[in-house]
Amino acid sequence: MGQLVNSDNRMPGADKEADLTERIEAFLADLKRGGCGTGPIRGSGETARETTALLRKVTAQARWSSAGDLMEIIRKEGRRMTAAQPSETTVGNMVLRVLKIIREEYARSRGSSEETDQQESLHKLLTSGGLSEENFRQHFVHLKANVIEAINELLTELDGTTDNIAMQALEHIHSNEVIMTVGRSRTVEAFLKDAARKRKFHVIVAECAPFCQGHEMATNLSKASIETTVIADAAIFAVMSRVNKVIIGTQTVLANGGLRAVNGTHTVALAARHHSTPLIVCAPMFKLSPQFPNEEDTFHKFVSPHEVLPFTEGEILSKVNVHCPVFDYVPPELITLFISNIGGNAPSYIYRLMSELYHPEDHDL
Amino acid sequence: MQQPSKMNEEELVEYFRTQMRTDPDMASAVAAIRTLLEFLRRDKGETILGLRESLKWATDCLTEVDSSVAVSSGGELFLRFISLTSLEHQDLSRCKKVMEERGELFLEKISLSRTKVAKLCHTFIKDGAKILTHSSSRVVLRVLEKAAAEKKRFTVYVTESQPDTAGKQMADALRRINVPVTVVLDAAVGYVLEKVDLVIVGAEGVVESGGIINKIGTYQMAVCSKAHNKPFYVVAESFKFVRLYPLNQQDVPDRFKYKADTLRTVSDLSDEHPMIDYTPPSLITLLFTDLGVLTPSAVSDELIKLYL
Repeated sequence: MGQLVNSDNRMPGADKEADLTERIEAFLADLKRGGCGTGPIRGSGETARETTALLRKVTAQARWSSAGDLMEIIRKEGRRMTAAQPSETTVGNMVLRVLKIIREEYARSRGSSEETDQQESLHKLLTSGGLSEENFRQHFVHLKANVIEAINELLTELDGTTDNIAMQALEHIHSNEVIMTVGRSRTVEAFLKDAARKRKFHVIVAECAPFCQGHEMATNLSKASIETTVIADAAIFAVMSRVNKVIIGTQTVLANGGLRAVNGTHTVALAARHHSTPLIVCAPMFKLSPQFPNEEDTFHKFVSPHEVLPFTEGEILSKVNVHCPVFDYVPPELITLFISNIGGNAPSYIYRLMSELYHPEDHDL
Repeated sequence: MQQPSKMNEEELVEYFRTQMRTDPDMASAVAAIRTLLEFLRRDKGETILGLRESLKWATDCLTEVDSSVAVSSGGELFLRFISLTSLEHQDLSRCKKVMEERGELFLEKISLSRTKVAKLCHTFIKDGAKILTHSSSRVVLRVLEKAAAEKKRFTVYVTESQPDTAGKQMADALRRINVPVTVVLDAAVGYVLEKVDLVIVGAEGVVESGGIINKIGTYQMAVCSKAHNKPFYVVAESFKFVRLYPLNQQDVPDRFKYKADTLRTVSDLSDEHPMIDYTPPSLITLLFTDLGVLTPSAVSDELIKLYL
């Protein structure tokens, strides 16, 4: 257990700080390593939980006197974490959630009903009585406890997301349906397994080359006694006419309602649009990001091309360019419904959900 | 010292025209709001209801001078501003003081709106991009200036935009900041779209459905960009949001479609060419406003927050 007396006579508080820094460094190292194509070492749900737990520790242990200081500290840590792995957007999203929590708790402590007035709006432009810059300098005694309690609530919410989504499965999946999915998504797996308890249906999984995560998905589904078929990506369009619904997961939901999902998803979405098959996306709220799909440099992640063209093909390698992108962009027009832990929503409603989760001033960390 | 007397129609129109002349960069809605604020200062009414009546009359006078959607939306916004403020303070003289203060503050804030829009939009313009724009819009010009200042290289195609060939002014302004620009015929939009990466237009008014009212030819451009799968971006300040819900081109009120003098002199409008058209929200990708980057469905939310 912990040492009470240190050889170099440090205060026990400094020990805790060193422990916190160690945890953050370990987390950052994990993030950096999780860049290979087979996906990060942990699922995005666990990343979100780990980030939130770390931020709670930072809130508890760091020295701050006002909400403004705390927000600066969180922003600093957030910038470091997002810089370690820019494609893992859940980290950034959790930082923004915590910042919004701090703003809300501060407003509540001040007793103002500013919760509704957080966003810029025409109404605010007309009625505000001064270029008031809210600088969060006031000190409140109970702010720390309130913020930590709110973060605990957030953690409970995160724990329950997969179950909340899976609970909605029976409304969307009916008997004798043929469902298509792409690659491997833990959320979709739980969703389908939950429906399989009461309904019999057939699942077609596109293997999603070159990482072929579809194989693992198919194995897991068949263990739950769901009739599964694995198809090659090239067969997606051919098979689509027999499919009733397409249910997919995603890595990120963008601010315009589009997706950043595993490569191959755009193909599935276009094939579904062609056959007028509904495309349902199962994505928990922590995947919602305030980014727009314009920054092509930060949008894509490329990994080692040896999955596409192995290094053994030595002769050709000097003559061709080989790319192995990990993500695909799916525009919002191709999506029918988003199923998240707070229920089902249309892609055109995403802007509203975003304004409830994040504050516009925090969008650029 | 004698108090300045109440403004009559002539003075009102003269003040408005002077505002537009002294600062050609100012949006017509802003000039209208400034004029109405001055009118408010000089008004001698005793009741708030009387104040509203005279302001409505003043707005009507201004729309007779400049029949654009922007002036109308500026006027309505000002009236809403008066209503909201008068709800808080019942006493007229206190109310007027507060209105004058807030009015000045509002004008200050919206003078910054074009800068905010430019800050949001310029990141969507990538190095080497080819941009198509329509007619002359000061907001689009500001966005392109900001992108050029960020050392991005891009080329611009501007439509000549008959009947007033406003596109040529836009081209001159762009040449002055050393942006390579080509003026194309309005009919050449379909031809040029395959070369273009994105389309950015301004708006005279943003309607409740999320669609826009802009110079004639914008709808055409939007339909063609949809067919070519090119993003169609609209840049507009938030004071251009207007409480209209047109379902098609015929639904747009005649008083916006034609210039003010045409409305006064001509009896049969079916012979005249309209100056504006309506672009439905399904053709618009994103709207950049000083309230943030909005999808067309978010616009009605903003309007509801203000007016209801």
